[in-house]
Amino acid sequence: MIVQIGKKVGVFALSLLGASILIFLITNALPGSVAYVILGTDATPEAVAVLEAQLGLDRPLPIQYLEWIWGVLSGHLGVSPLSGDHVADLLSERVGITAWLVVLGILGSILIALPLGMIAALRRTKWSGFVISSLAQVGMSIPVFWGGIILALVFAVLLRWLPANGYVPLLEDPLAWLRHMILPVTTLALVQSAVLIRYVRSAFIEVLNEDYYRTARAIGWTPLRALFRHGVRNAAIALVTVIGLQLSSSLVGAIVVEKVFNLHGLGRLLLDKVSERDLVVVQSTVMLLVLAVLLINLLVDLSYAVIDPRQRGKRK
Amino acid sequence: MSKTGGELRILSRSHKQLRTFKSIIAAAVVFSIGLTGCGTPTPSGSSTTTPNKLVIGATLEPANMDPFHNTAASIPQVLLYNVYETLVKLDSDGQLRGLLARSWDVSPNRKEYTFFLDPAAKFASGAPIDANAVVANITRMQDDPRLTETLRQQLEVVDSAVVVDATHVRIELKRPSMMWLYEMSSTLGMIVDPTVTDITTQSAGSGPYVVKAHRKGQSVILEKNEAYWDTPARFDEVTFRYYDDPNAMNASMLTGDLDIISNLQAPDALPQFSDTQRFTVTKGTTNGEIVLGLNHHNEALAKLEVRQALTKAIDKNALLDTVWNGQGTVIGSMSVPTDPWYEDLSHVNSYDPEGAKALLKAAGYETGLKLRFRVPVVPYALKSAQFVASQLRDIGVETVVEELEFSRWIPEVLTNGDYDMTIVAHVEARDLGKFADENYYWHYGAPEFVRLYNDADQAESAQSVVFMRDAARFLADDAAAIWLFVLPSLIVTKANVIGVPENMTSLSFDLTSVTSR
Amino acid sequence: MKRLQLHIGLVLVLLVILAGLLSLFWTPFDPIQVTSYNKLLAPGWPNLLGTDGMGIDIASRLLVGARYCLIVGVISVGLAALVGVPLGMLAGLRSGWVDELVMRISDVVYAFPALLLAMLFAAAFGASTMTAMTAIGIATVPAFARVARAGTVQVAASDFVLAARAAGTSKWGIAVRHVFPNIAPLVGVQASVGFAMAILAEAALSYLGLGTPRVTPTWGGMLRDAQDVWFIQPIQALWPGMAIALAVMGFNLLGDGLRDILDPRLRELK
Repeated sequence: MIVQIGKKVGVFALSLLGASILIFLITNALPGSVAYVILGTDATPEAVAVLEAQLGLDRPLPIQYLEWIWGVLSGHLGVSPLSGDHVADLLSERVGITAWLVVLGILGSILIALPLGMIAALRRTKWSGFVISSLAQVGMSIPVFWGGIILALVFAVLLRWLPANGYVPLLEDPLAWLRHMILPVTTLALVQSAVLIRYVRSAFIEVLNEDYYRTARAIGWTPLRALFRHGVRNAAIALVTVIGLQLSSSLVGAIVVEKVFNLHGLGRLLLDKVSERDLVVVQSTVMLLVLAVLLINLLVDLSYAVIDPRQRGKRK
Repeated sequence: MSKTGGELRILSRSHKQLRTFKSIIAAAVVFSIGLTGCGTPTPSGSSTTTPNKLVIGATLEPANMDPFHNTAASIPQVLLYNVYETLVKLDSDGQLRGLLARSWDVSPNRKEYTFFLDPAAKFASGAPIDANAVVANITRMQDDPRLTETLRQQLEVVDSAVVVDATHVRIELKRPSMMWLYEMSSTLGMIVDPTVTDITTQSAGSGPYVVKAHRKGQSVILEKNEAYWDTPARFDEVTFRYYDDPNAMNASMLTGDLDIISNLQAPDALPQFSDTQRFTVTKGTTNGEIVLGLNHHNEALAKLEVRQALTKAIDKNALLDTVWNGQGTVIGSMSVPTDPWYEDLSHVNSYDPEGAKALLKAAGYETGLKLRFRVPVVPYALKSAQFVASQLRDIGVETVVEELEFSRWIPEVLTNGDYDMTIVAHVEARDLGKFADENYYWHYGAPEFVRLYNDADQAESAQSVVFMRDAARFLADDAAAIWLFVLPSLIVTKANVIGVPENMTSLSFDLTSVTSR
Repeated sequence: MKRLQLHIGLVLVLLVILAGLLSLFWTPFDPIQVTSYNKLLAPGWPNLLGTDGMGIDIASRLLVGARYCLIVGVISVGLAALVGVPLGMLAGLRSGWVDELVMRISDVVYAFPALLLAMLFAAAFGASTMTAMTAIGIATVPAFARVARAGTVQVAASDFVLAARAAGTSKWGIAVRHVFPNIAPLVGVQASVGFAMAILAEAALSYLGLGTPRVTPTWGGMLRDAQDVWFIQPIQALWPGMAIALAVMGFNLLGDGLRDILDPRLRELK
């Protein structure tokens, strides 16, 4: 068991290393691009050289890479050459909104998808099941931003029930925070739940074909009771996998949702910095997001063992 | 917002860029000036408007609160007249009047200005604004090696500043300059409390408001200066909230989160604020000329016939209708209706596609002309470019449209001049002097124009207006650029908010007259 | 009902293809020419779906948009398949460190969602259709590699491959003659699903302003334009939004339907 965990953590660390190299190579693919962005394309080679020396860009790439990684590990992410902001400050200011969005979005999507997916599984031969599956199919096809704009139009502009955009910190005014989070979180949750419903449905259909479920039904349990008693635990494995995947796609969805609802989270930070081509901030922000994705994958992997004793020592 | 910050800083790194940039930044700022004001006490969107708080929406966030080392127009938008005051001020009609100075005298040779300070004037700290403070400000800027290039150029004409007595300051110029006094109504003239060393962390002005907080990425909050020396501020707290999507700002206004949209950035959205029970729309003008810049280093564009042909090929009235919903003014030269020397020059080289074709033929380009049309990614430029490209196609001029983020547009087009045609708003006040600079990105600087402009700047004021008009007319006749239109000031307020300035004649979003019922 | 989704998917996909092809020869109006006095017309005649803020016929732009949608899908999915499938087959046929290396790299790339990778590319190389397609393509490589590897491992263990190997056929020969034809349908399913994802990702990028320039009629770009008049003419956002949703649904359903036919046992899964 310990060996298994150790191996998984090792793979995680290797993936992290690979990802960091990939990010670094892409952002440094064009030689001296940061200096050129700062100085303009008519900059003299001398001026570029001076600035690159100032910024430490004239040193070999592997050294720069190691320095960046060392910074990442020790929490010193450097200073943006374009704006002078400390990258670590920027990230810590912004991470909260995105985290709330993703966590609440996932919770919301589970709340929507679990019951609907179960119904779709139980009634898979009936119209209601078909309708749910079809709706899920439609939901999967809708661009996140389109959904967000429609929700804002209906609930903020037409009905004026909720603010159309913006953010208030939780500690400053909890009620206002809630009101501002409802639309973005709902947008994310709805779109994510469309995908989730399909997985939940499949997972439960599998359970429905298992012997223990048939036995429970045979001794007179209602379908729901039987499902809850046996199904949930057995479907959990599949669900954990899917939720792991969902978390990473929610992270991406959050970027778009932040744009639609004018929320200043990590996604908006990334978007702004990409437009400015502030590569120093971009590389650390992307690294943070990828770290989150990989960490989620690791946790999902590890949680198999906890959820399903049968899996202990069995999975590679 | 942070975007502008980035752009501006890019500017501040490069001398050459800085020199040329103020107006561009201003362009960015016009954008930022889409201030939306909200009268809601909390941003929660609840509709309980308390009369002593105001929320204004804007589109570009200032990077910091230091206008002396950053040319971003989003900084004076918040600070000028609201937090920092100047000796003289531009009012909504474009007229200069006293602010910290009750009046001023000009010597007969127009090189000595004596300002009579208001004895009541004092900083928020309580220190009086006397002649020493004014002189200290001028010498501080003269000695500041990091001062922005724009300010340095404006300051260059000043020879010395002398304390006459506590309320008299005499400023001597190296040569007469009408423009200098105008500039003194803007950032150049902001009087800062000399005892404050770092104005990025501490506000050091004498205006009716002081900076309470700058929440990066979200808002700047001003609060009432309790010690204000003149008519007290009407609001206890004013928030400038920043949006980079004009539609998000409109949505906030519609839901009641904002009290004011300082400048509507999507004029097609105007009809949604037509309910006069809820909203008031104040239409005015700005200093933002949208210039279709022509690179005079291009062989074809160096020819007058070609420039005239391109000007005649574009129906500016139709463009304004399509691109900016008919809001704004068609001008014809580098001058706006609030300039004292303004005249409508839109009839010069007016829309005439057949005439345009004839001119092209005369210039030897009847078989076609291909131009690189590189525009920054801002709404007015993208839409205008689409329209212009379409109309130039009709006279046989092919354009290759390329969209550049501002951060690329600045080094490549503005600094490097790597383009044939481009579009950007020049939002600085009275900025036709830019055409006198041969190194500016248009590479214009016709000697005749330079002479007209310098004469105008140095003449006494009545004569100066006449000369300036001649200079503007010369630009139009010479088709130095193509002036598409002046950006309108479209301020949307809640119906209970009154007193917003009609015209945006300065970079300030002037709060001093705004009040709510 | 078993074939229903396949049929719906096929119809939708064919519609998109037909619209894209049609736009090469004919559109009701010029999809680029600005007509100054016709802006923001409501749906009617002759502008069936109305005109946009620049007075351009929306139906015409929608047709051309189908073409760009297909181009983006074909190029990014094509890139992903061309790189991913051979890599997956290599990993499947040569187990051991090659397999481990390929799959580890694939895992690393898999940690980059397409949109994130596209933003990274846009920052480094500038935003354009080409960078968007390349990034989406690269982000989709791991999916193809996994499918190809899984299929290859299965096929490689089958009797006929063992027989071929015993008969002395080279590894290359086996890969080309036996493995590829057998995994091709699986790759087809993946391509269809990948296509749907690519359309969504490109639309999001265009909406964020990091994709195709505005003058080019793309569905994502049309949605961004429609936002300017969202509160006045919400219907403007309906058409491109529906076009994206229907195209994505078409490719998803087609993929699902194909999967069902290929492997009835998997019908209820995924």
